[in-house]
Amino acid sequence: MNELAIASNDLVKTYGGIRAVGGINLTVPRGAIYGFLGRNGAGKTTTVKMLLGLTRPTAGAAHVFGMDVSAERMSILRRTAFVSEKKTLYPLLTASELVRFSRGFYPMWSDSAVEKYARLLEIPMKQRFEKLSNGNQTKVWLLLALSQGADLLILDEPTTALDPVSVDQLLHVLAEDGQDRGCTIFFSSHQLEEVERIAEYAGVIDRGKLLMESRLDDIKSEFRLITAAGNSLPAQTSTQVLSVAVEGNFYRYVVTQDAESFAAGLSQNGASITNIAPLSLREIFLQLVRKEQ
Amino acid sequence: MYFWKCWRDTRSFFVVFLIIAAIVMPVAAVVGLGTHLVEDFGTSAFTDTFDLILTVVALGLGAIGAIHEFADKTAQFLFTKPRSRAYFVWVGWAVGFAELLAIAIVNFLAGWATLSHYSKNPFHSTLNGSMRAQNILNALIFCLWAYCLTYALTVLRRNGLKGLGASMGILFGFPLFAVAIRWRWHIDLPFPPDPIGSLPLAMSSIIWILVAMFFVLAAQLVVERTEI
Repeated sequence: MNELAIASNDLVKTYGGIRAVGGINLTVPRGAIYGFLGRNGAGKTTTVKMLLGLTRPTAGAAHVFGMDVSAERMSILRRTAFVSEKKTLYPLLTASELVRFSRGFYPMWSDSAVEKYARLLEIPMKQRFEKLSNGNQTKVWLLLALSQGADLLILDEPTTALDPVSVDQLLHVLAEDGQDRGCTIFFSSHQLEEVERIAEYAGVIDRGKLLMESRLDDIKSEFRLITAAGNSLPAQTSTQVLSVAVEGNFYRYVVTQDAESFAAGLSQNGASITNIAPLSLREIFLQLVRKEQ
Repeated sequence: MYFWKCWRDTRSFFVVFLIIAAIVMPVAAVVGLGTHLVEDFGTSAFTDTFDLILTVVALGLGAIGAIHEFADKTAQFLFTKPRSRAYFVWVGWAVGFAELLAIAIVNFLAGWATLSHYSKNPFHSTLNGSMRAQNILNALIFCLWAYCLTYALTVLRRNGLKGLGASMGILFGFPLFAVAIRWRWHIDLPFPPDPIGSLPLAMSSIIWILVAMFFVLAAQLVVERTEI
């Protein structure tokens, strides 16, 4: 049995000579919550579209539950729920009618889940979609996705337009219910705090390239901010040193891989190490993206 | 599911024209009561209203019933359902076609019942002679053609009004174009439901039906290849 929910191999998508996605290799384990991070226009949505067969890869391949996205689209879609970045649905249908519409497509559809999430997310089910607030429109998308009984949830910016309470409810639902069912959750976002709160794995994409992908804990343990005081300390970046900021005699290094030995090296150069601190996901993300620029 | 959605999108239009189709001939008969209008012109009035109503319905259903997912930006929602895009194209087409057929049947039965009330030979006019089954068949072929063309053009242009405009341009512009060609080069361009060259009428009818279906197939191929 394939242990990966999503696997891509040098996946490329170009639009008129512009590389939206430039050969990414994703590995999303089954049952994991995976945060797909990137700035606007980084290639997150294009990647999601290729996984769902909405757009064809220019090169490379991708598999969902071991099935080729180009050849076995129907089988993938039967097991996959999706929340689009653009939260547009049929404007004249009510949320209840959208449920009625969607129900027939999925054999694992759960009406009890509809009731539960409609109550939890406080969705006005009898109101036309066009009359709903942006936040409630997003909630309808989430309701439809969560009620499918899918093995894989692909959520593209799922918290758009949601208020903090709703975001909190959603993250709770994803972390608790999704995990209880053994569902894999792949969600793209630039809301780093949300990813940090529930994701076990994270991938960072920028300008169509996957800069990093690993367990979130490993990512956090890998990066360190070293503050050192001294004169004429090294100020160049390298594969190990992502960035150096100099303020007078103080040097702030963002280091990946083996921070202790790097700090020891600085000490040998006469530096006094004042602090070695872990970085938040936000800081790591910013460092990675800035380095890429 | 999608059948229900297509029905929901077109039902208002369908019901309005179903009512019109049902009452047009009885109303015309009541208006012409006591005169010889029904006996003399009943059959031609029936064929004219039959043609007109079905043409309008074919154009309207083609524009309303075709998938509007690209214009409405709902393509990401619909095309991530576990059904092929061809399924959505043909279900939309089938619902509209069923409605077109229902209106044709109701209009025909209402016309037949009305004319039967006044004459033992309802489809015979003292002035214009008898109406033949071919007249009805020709009207249906033309309407199928108009419906499929409008449906396909609405899908291609991604907009009901644009599709309708393009379709009407072809349907009403082509006969003028054909006249110009005939006048200048003495070539007869076929147009549905007229016979194609020297082919028998039945063969010509089959070809026109196949061409109409080809329009929908073309729409399907375009939808299948569209990147979202």
